[in-house]
Amino acid sequence: MTPLGYRGYIASRPVRGSSSPQHVQNLVIRDFAQRNGLLFKLSATEYAMAGSFMMLDAVLDELPQLDGIILYSQFMLPDRPERRRAIYDRVLAEGKVLAGAVENLTLRTPADARRWEDILLTDRFAAREMPVF
Amino acid sequence: MCTATAKLDDPIDGFLSADEAALGRRFIADGHVIRSVEDTAALDRIRSAAAGHAARHLGIAAPNDVGGFLNRIHEQLPVAKLNDLRLAVFNGMNAEPWFRRSYFALARGAIETLVGNELAMQRRINLSIQMPDDDSSLLPVHADVWSGDSPFEVVAWLPLVDCRKTKSMFLLPPAANARHAAQFGTYSKGTAEDLFRVIEPELTWLDIKYGEILLFTQNLMHGNRLNREGETRWSMNCRFKSLFSPYCDKRLGEFFEPITIRAASRLGMDYRHPTGFEA
Repeated sequence: MTPLGYRGYIASRPVRGSSSPQHVQNLVIRDFAQRNGLLFKLSATEYAMAGSFMMLDAVLDELPQLDGIILYSQFMLPDRPERRRAIYDRVLAEGKVLAGAVENLTLRTPADARRWEDILLTDRFAAREMPVF
Repeated sequence: MCTATAKLDDPIDGFLSADEAALGRRFIADGHVIRSVEDTAALDRIRSAAAGHAARHLGIAAPNDVGGFLNRIHEQLPVAKLNDLRLAVFNGMNAEPWFRRSYFALARGAIETLVGNELAMQRRINLSIQMPDDDSSLLPVHADVWSGDSPFEVVAWLPLVDCRKTKSMFLLPPAANARHAAQFGTYSKGTAEDLFRVIEPELTWLDIKYGEILLFTQNLMHGNRLNREGETRWSMNCRFKSLFSPYCDKRLGEFFEPITIRAASRLGMDYRHPTGFEA
């Protein structure tokens, strides 16, 4: 079967509080695709405005023509859990794959979705910085 | 008038059991504990699988004498091909779906006592192979907290063969570590090797047998030296930390993953106040 390919998805705003140049984000995605033998299709670049997921929504609409989506990071997903779950449901319902390149994680099953949520939710509550004395 | 003074350096045991408190005190005093693994079947499975991946990479049959095969692996391939072997075994092991759960089972009770029962675990378990006289696999003296690890982490270090002297690793005990750390600036013009020479007389070389596991705090200086013992060292290492304690550069998702989220935390993380009120 001819592969449909994986659409990359990169950011124009900080991810987890830090910014990476877009060409570096693409390198990380390309490397992930190469290591996993996936056909990489040009990345979609999300708008810089906080809370915008218009490009991600466009890529989700394109899912039937793709094997999946490679996010630069799973932490690019929306903050609201219900919004993330809607994305997982859509990907799973179409039998596609969501991947996080930085994390080297893939989501193909409901169990994977729970695993992603455990990481994303815990990260919101876990301490991020060491206090300076 | 109360004349008692609090001994602030004493750890407070709280409601810990006597055994838990004793283990914690030992860990704080020595910076490490060595214990028998809690699940020997898991250990044997891990070692056999590692040897199997190594044998497959070398194109030979899986060994009957697993310990001997690992100890003498340097007779099978040159140092120049060691990293390919290491990567083959590392990738093979980390692709085994049972591997991390089994690794955790080796010291679950001790880790829960020392770290907590709600844990994050390193996603990919490291493998070290150090052949005799191989200077390509050395870890100069360091503390992981100096390079992006959280001081809340504990390392579970597992030998797949008996390790002693230079076939093992060294650790600077807490008291000496604190003394040298306090004057670290005076070493700033030197190299890591200079630092090693300074701390060398006070180092503890950890003798540890197959069947045992080492838990240590990576806040202490540690490392290894040229293996002069005539056998190859095989060891694995993996970090555990309390789930909600501070993370540094080794973050959730990329490096750590929650493994024992408890029900109350799930409820708490999902909780939202009722909405619909107007100011």
